[in-house]
Amino acid sequence: MLLLANLEKRHATAARPLFSGLALTVAAGEIVALVGESGVGKSTLLNCIAGLENADSGSIRIGPQAVDIAKLDESARAALRARNIGFVFQAFHVLPTLTVAQNIAVPLLLCGVPAKEHGRRTRALLERVGLSGFGPRWPASLSGGELQRVAIARALIHQPALILADEPTGNLDPRTAHEILALLLERVREQDVSALVVTHSQQVASCCDRILTLTPDGLS
Amino acid sequence: MITAGNRSALGTLAWWLIRAQFRSRRAATLLSMLAIGLGVALGYAIHLINDAALADFARAMKSVQGDPDAVIAARDSAGSVPLADINQLARDPAVLVVAPVIETRVRIDDSPIPVSLIGLDVFSAAAVMPQLMPRHDDRAVLDNIFAGGVYASPTLLERLGLRPGDALTLVRGEQRWRTTISGDLPATHPDEQLLVADIAWVQQRFGPAEAVSEGRVRLAPDADLSTWRTTLAQRLPAGLLIRAADDDSARLSNLSRAYRVNLNVLALVALLTGAFLVFATQLTAVAQRSTQFALLGVLGLSPRMRLLQVLLEGLAIGLPGSLLGLSLGYILAVAFTQLLGGDLGGGYFSDSAPLIVPALVPALAFLALGCLASLTGAFYPAYLNRTQALAQALTSGFSQRPAAIVASPSRLALPALLALAAFALAQLPPLFELPLAGYATIALVLAAGIASAPLLTQTMFGWLSERPLPAPQRIALQNVAQAPLMAQVAASGLIVSFALTASMVIMVSSFRVAVDHWLDHVLPAPLYLRSKATPLPQPLLDALATPDAPFARIERMATASLTLDPRRPKVALLVRELERDNPAARLPFTGPVLTPPVAMPLVWISEPMHEIYRVGAGETLRLPLLGREVDVFVGGVWRDYARQFGAVVISRDDYLSLGGDFQPTDLALWPLPGQQSVAVAWLAPPIERYGLELADSAAIRELSLSIFDKSFAVTYALEAAAMLIGLFGLAVTLAASVWLRARELATLAALGFDRRMLSTAVMLEGALIAGVGLLIGLGCGVAIGSVLTHVVNPQAFHWRMPLAIPWPMVVAGAAITLAAAVLASRYAARQATRLAVAQVLASAQ
Ligand SMILES: Nc1ncnc2c1ncn2[C@@H]1O[C@H](COP(=O)(O)OP(=O)(O)OP(=O)(O)O)[C@@H](O)[C@H]1O
Ligand SMILES: [Mg+2]
Repeated sequence: MLLLANLEKRHATAARPLFSGLALTVAAGEIVALVGESGVGKSTLLNCIAGLENADSGSIRIGPQAVDIAKLDESARAALRARNIGFVFQAFHVLPTLTVAQNIAVPLLLCGVPAKEHGRRTRALLERVGLSGFGPRWPASLSGGELQRVAIARALIHQPALILADEPTGNLDPRTAHEILALLLERVREQDVSALVVTHSQQVASCCDRILTLTPDGLS
Repeated sequence: MITAGNRSALGTLAWWLIRAQFRSRRAATLLSMLAIGLGVALGYAIHLINDAALADFARAMKSVQGDPDAVIAARDSAGSVPLADINQLARDPAVLVVAPVIETRVRIDDSPIPVSLIGLDVFSAAAVMPQLMPRHDDRAVLDNIFAGGVYASPTLLERLGLRPGDALTLVRGEQRWRTTISGDLPATHPDEQLLVADIAWVQQRFGPAEAVSEGRVRLAPDADLSTWRTTLAQRLPAGLLIRAADDDSARLSNLSRAYRVNLNVLALVALLTGAFLVFATQLTAVAQRSTQFALLGVLGLSPRMRLLQVLLEGLAIGLPGSLLGLSLGYILAVAFTQLLGGDLGGGYFSDSAPLIVPALVPALAFLALGCLASLTGAFYPAYLNRTQALAQALTSGFSQRPAAIVASPSRLALPALLALAAFALAQLPPLFELPLAGYATIALVLAAGIASAPLLTQTMFGWLSERPLPAPQRIALQNVAQAPLMAQVAASGLIVSFALTASMVIMVSSFRVAVDHWLDHVLPAPLYLRSKATPLPQPLLDALATPDAPFARIERMATASLTLDPRRPKVALLVRELERDNPAARLPFTGPVLTPPVAMPLVWISEPMHEIYRVGAGETLRLPLLGREVDVFVGGVWRDYARQFGAVVISRDDYLSLGGDFQPTDLALWPLPGQQSVAVAWLAPPIERYGLELADSAAIRELSLSIFDKSFAVTYALEAAAMLIGLFGLAVTLAASVWLRARELATLAALGFDRRMLSTAVMLEGALIAGVGLLIGLGCGVAIGSVLTHVVNPQAFHWRMPLAIPWPMVVAGAAITLAAAVLASRYAARQATRLAVAQVLASAQ
C-alpha cells in the first residue's frame, strides 16, 4: 500500500511548486491510473515516491511497515526500493549484457535471494508473461513488446508491495499495448499489489480501479 | 542488514556484471591488465635481480673473507696493517682469534687475467675463514703447507687445466714466484677462482714486510662488539679502520642504491601508466553503462554497491594483471641476469649471473601494489558512478560535466599553484641521500600540466571556433572547447606520456653530450696503456724512458683507493704526473682552481666526491693517506662521469713528498708525430709478456659511448611503451566519447551531415586534443627534463651536466605522435560513421 500526505515539490529554478499539499492513499491490491498534461509533474511524483528525487515536505509511506521514504538516507531508500517497489518504464530499460533470465533475477539478487533459488521462480514467471523458453536469450534479440514483458516480470518477481509504472505502453502499438497492460493488471491483481500507473491513454486509464488527474492545483 | 545470503546474492550480481563487462570490452580490459602487469613485472624483476645480486655479492665476499666479527684494515689501499698492531690485538682479552691475511692479485704463468692470492695462517684462519681451508693432495711433491706450495680453488684448477703437483709461476709486477700446486680448496664456492698460500711465503715473495693486508677478528663469546669497537677505535692508528659485518652490508647496498631506486621509479611510472589505463577504461565503462547503473540503482542497488562494483571491476583487472606481472617479472629477472648480470648493465657487481630466488612476502607486496594501482585508477570513475543522479541518468545518460565548472581565475590558480610548489620542491636537498623531492617535483609538474589543459583548450579553441569555419571543423572545435570529461582524459594521457618521453630524451641527450664533451677533455693522449690490478713492470717503464722509445710524451698514473667511511664505497685516489700550477690542462674543472695559501699538499676532487662528502674548492680535507691522516687543500672540483663514488687526484710530486711510493698502473702515451703504428708495434711484446691492455683514445671513446647507449637502451623501450599507451588512451576515450554522443552525431547525420563530414569532425577533434596534449606535454617534458638533469641526476648519481635539448628529435617525436593520434582517431571516426542513425534516433527517450 502507499500513503502520501501533504507532499510538496518545487524545482530550485521554478517559480511555483509542481504540487503541494498532495495526499493520496492506494490500498493493497488497488490499481490507480495517474493522468495529466505533459510537464505537470507525473514523472516527478513517481520519482519522489521511489525516493529518486527529494520531496520538499510531506510524507511518503510504503509497504506493510509503512516506512516514510522521505526520512531515509540514500542507502536505506535503495534497500526499500529493492524490497518493496517494482518498476516498469516507458523505455523498457533492460540490461543488454545480461540474459533475459538474469535480467528478471536481478531484483531477487538485490533482495538477497541466492542464485540457486532463481531458476524455478524465473521460469514460472516467464511462463506467466508469455515468454516461456526466452530465459537464455539476449535482450538485443527481443521485440519491444517482448522486452516490456521482461520488464513486467522483473517488476513482479520479488513480490513488491507497490508497482510504479511510467507510461508502460507509450512505446508500443495499440494492440500490443493493450495486451501488455492486461498482463500487468492481471499479475498485479493476482499478487495483491498496489499499483500507480502514469498514462496518457484513456483506454489504459479505464482499465484501472481509479483514475486520478494531476493538475497544478492538486490531485482530483 | 547485510546477511550472508544477501552478500552471496550481491556477489553473484557483481560477478555477472564483471563478466558482462569483460565480454563487451575485451581489448581495453586486456590492455589495462597488461599495463598493470608490466609495471608489476618491472618492479618485481628489479627487486628479484637486486636481491639476488646483493646476496651473490655478499656470498662472494663471505667466501673470501669468512665471517669475522670485525676486520682491521688500512684505510689506504696502498697501505697495510703493521704486524705489531696485529700482535697487540691478539693480546686483547676480548679477542678470541685474530687471523692475519695478505691479499694480492697475481698473474699465473703470464696469463693476462689476474687472480686473487690469499696468504693466511691455517691455524687462525680455521676459526674465521673455514671456506678457505686448504686440502693437501698426495700427488704434490712437497709434503705440507709450510713448504711453500699454493692451493687453488677447484674452478681455477679446471680453468687452468692444472692438477696438484704441477708447477706454476705467479707474477706480480716484476716479482715472480715459482711454486707448485699442493692441493685444492674444497670448501670454496664454485664461482670462486683464487689461490691460497701460507702467509709467510706470500709475504716473503710479494711483501709487505712486517705487515699484512688485514686482520680478521673473532671476538670472545662474552665480548660485546660495539663497546669493543668504540674502545679500540680510540687507540687505533690513524691509517687503520675497523669494519664490522653491518658496515659491509651497508656499503653493499649504498653501492647500487641510487641506480636501483631509479629503476624502481621507472617501474612505478609503468605502474602509474597501468593505473591511468584502468582509469580510462573504467571511466568510459561507467559512462557507457550509466543508464544501466541508474537502472540498477532504481531497482535498489545501494550507492555503496555502485561504488564497490566499479572498484571490483578495477580489481578484476588488477589482480590477474598483477599475477601475470609476477610471473613475467620472474621470467624477466632470470632472462636479464643471464644476459646482463646482476647489475642490469650498471657495472656495480661482478658479471656472473646470480641465482633468482623468489620469496613469498615481496611477491605478495608487489601483488598488492598492482591491485592498489588499479584500484586507484578505478576510484574516480567509481566515485562518479556513485554520485550520478539516478532519475536523470536513466533518461538522458551519463552527465559528462560533473558540477565542477569553475570560474576562470581559480582555473588559472590551480596550475599556477602546482607549478610554484614544483619549483619550490626542486630546490630541496636530497632526503635519505635520494632525490625524493625531485621525484615529487616531477609528479607536481605533471599535475600542473593536466590541470592547465582545460584552461588552454577553452581559451584557444573557444576563440578559434568563433572564426568563420566549415561546419565539421566548427563542431569539432566546439566539442573540444567545451572540454568534456572524455577529451580531458584523452589529453591527460598524452600529456603524461609525452612529457615523460620527452624528458627522458632530454635527460639522456644532455648526459650524452656532456659525456662526449668530457671524454674529449679526459682523453688528451692518443694511446693508453693499463695493467690490470698490479703495478706496471719496471723494465717496461725503464725502456720507455730510453731515447729510442717512439714516444714524445708519457704521463704516468698510479691508482689506489681510500676508505673515508666504512659504510660507503671507497674513494679512488689517482696519483698523476701533472703540473701542479696548471691542473686544468688535464682535469675538466667545473669551478675555480685555487692554490693553497701555505705549503700544503694539494688535491683536486671529483664532482661526486664534492657532492657526497660536502667539501668544496678552497676547503681543507683530511685524508687517510699512507697510514696517517693528512690535511690536504682542495684546489678545485673536476667533472668525473667514471667514478660514481668519488675520486681524488694528487700530483706525483706531492705524493712523493708525503712519503708515498709511486708505482704506476696506467700510462698516457703520445707517440712521436706520424709514428703511432710504430709505437703500437713497439709496445706489442711487453703487452704480450705482462698481460697489459692498450687502447687508443678513439676506441676508449667509442666503447664508453656504446656502454652509455646500452645502459639507456631499456629506457627507449619504456618510452615507446609510454607513447603507445598514451595513444591507446586517446583512441579508447575518443571512441567512448563518440559512443556517448551517439545521439548528437545521429542528429547531425539526420540534419544532413554526410559520413565524410562526421569522420572529419571526429578526426579533427582527435588531432586537436592531441595537439593540446602534445603542447602541454612538451612544456612539462622540458621542465621534467631539467629536473632530471639538474636535480635527480646530481642527487642520485652525483653527476652534473648542462641541459642540452635535442629540439629536432623532440619536435619530430611530437609530429609523429600527432600523426599517430590522427590515425588513432580514425578508429573512433569509423565508429561515428557506422552509427545506425535511424536506430539511434529511434531509441532516444
Ligand atoms: N531538474 C529540474 N529542474 C527544473 N525543472 C525541472 C527539473 N526536472 C523537471 N523539471 C520540470 O518539472 C516539470 C515536470 O516534469 P515531469 O517529467 O514530472 O513531467 P510529466 O508530467 O512527467 O510530463 P510528461 O507527461 O511529458 O512525461 C516539467 O515542467 C519539467 O520541465
Ligand atoms: Mg513523464
